[in-house]
Amino acid sequence: MNAKRSSYLLITFSLVAVVMLALAAGCTGNESKTPAATTVPTGSPTVIATQAPVSTTAAPVVVVVPVTPVQKQSIKISGSTTVLPIVQKAADQYMANHPEADIQVSGGGSGVGIQAIGAKTVDIGMSSREVTKAELAKYPSFVVTTVAQDGIAVIVNPANEIRFITIDQVRDIYLGKITKWTQITGANVPNTNNQIVIIGRDSASGTRAYFDEFVLLKATPTKTMLEKNSNGAVLQTIAQTPGSIGYVSIGFVSEDVKALPIWYNFDKIVAPTLSNVKSKTYPISRDLYVITNGQPTGLAGDFIKYILSPEGQKIVADEGYVTIN
Amino acid sequence: MAKFIKKMNGDLITTERSARLSFLKERAIKTIFFCTASLAVVVVTFILLFLLRDGYPIFVEVGIIPFLFGDTWAPTAVPPLFGILPLIVGTLLVTIGSIVFAVPLSIGCAIYVSELASPRVKNVLKPAIELLAGIPSVVYGFFGLIVLTDFIRVAFDVPTGETWLAASILLGIMALPTIISVSEDAISAVPQEFKEGSLATGATRWQTISKVTVPAALSGIAAAIILGIGRAIGETMAVMMVAGNAAVIPDPIWNVLSPIRTLTATLGIEMGEVSVGSDHYSALFGIAVILLIITLIINLSAVAILRRLKEGQYAHTDRKPLIPDTLRVSLEKVAKLILAGGLVVFLFIAAPWYIAAATLLVVGAWYFGKDRLSRMHIEKISFGVVSIAAFIVLAILVIILGYIIVNGLPALSWEFLTQPPKDLGRAGGIAPAIVGTLYLVAGAILIALPLGVGAAIYLVEYTREGRITRLIRNGVDLLNGTPSIVFGLFGFAFIVLYLTVGVSLLAGQITLALMILPTVIRTTEESLKNIPQSLREGSLALGATRWQTISKVVIPPAVPGIVTGAILCIGRAAGETAPIMFTAVVFSTRFLPDSVFEPVMALPYHLFILATNVPGASTNQYGTALVLLILVVGMYAIAIIVRTHFQKKSRG
Repeated sequence: MNAKRSSYLLITFSLVAVVMLALAAGCTGNESKTPAATTVPTGSPTVIATQAPVSTTAAPVVVVVPVTPVQKQSIKISGSTTVLPIVQKAADQYMANHPEADIQVSGGGSGVGIQAIGAKTVDIGMSSREVTKAELAKYPSFVVTTVAQDGIAVIVNPANEIRFITIDQVRDIYLGKITKWTQITGANVPNTNNQIVIIGRDSASGTRAYFDEFVLLKATPTKTMLEKNSNGAVLQTIAQTPGSIGYVSIGFVSEDVKALPIWYNFDKIVAPTLSNVKSKTYPISRDLYVITNGQPTGLAGDFIKYILSPEGQKIVADEGYVTIN
Repeated sequence: MAKFIKKMNGDLITTERSARLSFLKERAIKTIFFCTASLAVVVVTFILLFLLRDGYPIFVEVGIIPFLFGDTWAPTAVPPLFGILPLIVGTLLVTIGSIVFAVPLSIGCAIYVSELASPRVKNVLKPAIELLAGIPSVVYGFFGLIVLTDFIRVAFDVPTGETWLAASILLGIMALPTIISVSEDAISAVPQEFKEGSLATGATRWQTISKVTVPAALSGIAAAIILGIGRAIGETMAVMMVAGNAAVIPDPIWNVLSPIRTLTATLGIEMGEVSVGSDHYSALFGIAVILLIITLIINLSAVAILRRLKEGQYAHTDRKPLIPDTLRVSLEKVAKLILAGGLVVFLFIAAPWYIAAATLLVVGAWYFGKDRLSRMHIEKISFGVVSIAAFIVLAILVIILGYIIVNGLPALSWEFLTQPPKDLGRAGGIAPAIVGTLYLVAGAILIALPLGVGAAIYLVEYTREGRITRLIRNGVDLLNGTPSIVFGLFGFAFIVLYLTVGVSLLAGQITLALMILPTVIRTTEESLKNIPQSLREGSLALGATRWQTISKVVIPPAVPGIVTGAILCIGRAAGETAPIMFTAVVFSTRFLPDSVFEPVMALPYHLFILATNVPGASTNQYGTALVLLILVVGMYAIAIIVRTHFQKKSRG
């Protein structure tokens, strides 16, 4: 009986201990926030891996070692996943130069970002679509700043032999008028029946809104289009599906897919490159925004200034977006 | 003497006072427990009201009938079309597909584990299957996206593998552990005498299993299947990653290689980007309402079916049959023939002719050859089939775990576990995500455990079955069946926006707590019910109050059961993405949160983002998946060890 009771106690205690550990980590975190810069020797991965469960629970205690208390200043940013890479990288850089700053960036989408900045639950919203009239009417104090431009590249699987495409062909594919790659001159996907797999973004996405408006001329894409809720998901699917076509921000284009040059006005073929977007010769491009509620002040204002500065715009270019002047 | 009487009187008064005090105390305690118990009902009502509040405009704008039966979902078309019929059909088809995949496998596996396996095999197999339940859904989705869809594309030579079939198989795998565990329990619970009686009459083991044991466990197996259906309908993240999400009704309807879109996936995909307050926004909440109503219908019909099954098992009523027996027999024959004919025709239309012919040949051979085979041969064949089922389940577990471990190990390093992410998660570590997940889970369990245990105590100790307990139970069941994405929406609409808490740790903890509450209540109830009634009676007979009895006699032996339940909940909460993605998480943060009003990073969300939003982060994707897996499976392993430890103790 005694032994039994002691083992109940043991288990209750260990459960409590786990909770306390987590809380304790929180408390130490409270006193001062310093970047978790405690350098730790990197061991051989395989050895560490076997100890992984232990290390995971031990991690909170190890990471948060108060060094010197710094007055922390924090802002929250939320919104479009397209703008996120720019802002995240800029935030990383900015925080490296300003140890007191804490910039938290979350995705969620343009809608979430605009709602959040409207309700003032965040300090900066990110959007890859224009703020709608309804939203502006609801929050008249919005200040919208363009931080970068984004070209939208039409991508196919590298197995496809196609070399360029016209906007009309893209439209016909997305409207379901062209269903086989053989209907397009130069296109062929070896070892398949050339069925086109159409990949698009979800209907709430800013990229989709832009694409539907300027490429599909406000028509609704065919129902058989597969919908993905992020640039990365579109990329992943195109990379592993030979007969597919899709569209992503130029910044996301990688070697796993083939970005198609656009043949337009029957005289020039324009590749989706940053310089072509910047010179406006590439036809499919749009602006990316950050939104503040009222004129940005304090850390938020300083951070937006940083993104617009040459240093910030260098990040924009590094992440594959187009700088603004 | 007078003094003595006075003293006696005094004593009496004090005892009276203390009696009144203790009576009040008992009353207060009972009230508190009642409040915790009714919380489930309140929460369900609240969720429904809140979803209705935000979804109501779409029902007015579009009308209920066009909303439900419109065949085009194009919320950004001009004019927008909000028809959710393809989504409802998609949800039902995916669920049916997953059940068709999962039920034969899981029942076969359950029979194998409970009836055929040697104790040693059983000791390995049972926990292994339970571990399958511990794999977070986003890990399944990740696996499905990269391995399963590609496999289907190549194997069936279709343009894309993101299909109804992929979603069904993946959901089927996810439903396996639930169905197997619950039906295995049901089969094991069939009294030994039944089997002994059957074997004594000369029946073979297989005859005993198929004619006696399984029919006797039928209501438990039915319950298991219904739980599995609930799991499949409510799943968001995995389905969203593999189903293709084209809002079409497959053409023809049995075309399993068509892309498909479910109600939950629509919420998961579109919720984040939509402009709050627009028609599209309220259409999404309308979908959530429909989803909740479908869950409600399934739950209620499940309860009804189970009741009928139980009645059918124990008491044959004397009611006169509607149709005379002779007529019924011939009617049944005709119905069977029609059904068989229909199936054959369907098979030839739906599948290539050679597959159809082969299936027909096998079934025909079985049907006509069955009587010529000796019982022993039948037994051997059946046992073979059952063992294969168990083997397949184990193989699936090994494949998924193996794939993630092999690809994830290279990413694991001390730095990976202790550093914040760099370069959008492509480099650096995941320490803030690990800590954030621990915070979320600790908070959720701190909220859910007292409430859940209180509710269970009220249900078991303080009441007899009646209308109120039935209401509370229904509330708990409904909460249990509520899709996790609906919790996410509720958390977003109510806690984040309405209470203006903002995206924060607190919002996520509360949302997760609500999600795991029913499991806490259920497991606690079970362990309280297992305490023999005689213990309570003994304590009460000695003059202990009800609260004393509960706190000193009933709860201590029930603690292991409660702890097991709590650990299972921790595992579930740690692996969930849908409830936290609109309520609690940020993509990346350098610091740990200062207070509960700040957002955190979390492992499942980090994995989701890495897998879908950040190109070129594949090493860290696998690493994150592996850490998440280790964390959650570790929790489950602890739960399993605790349980076996105490089972052994209680037996010895």
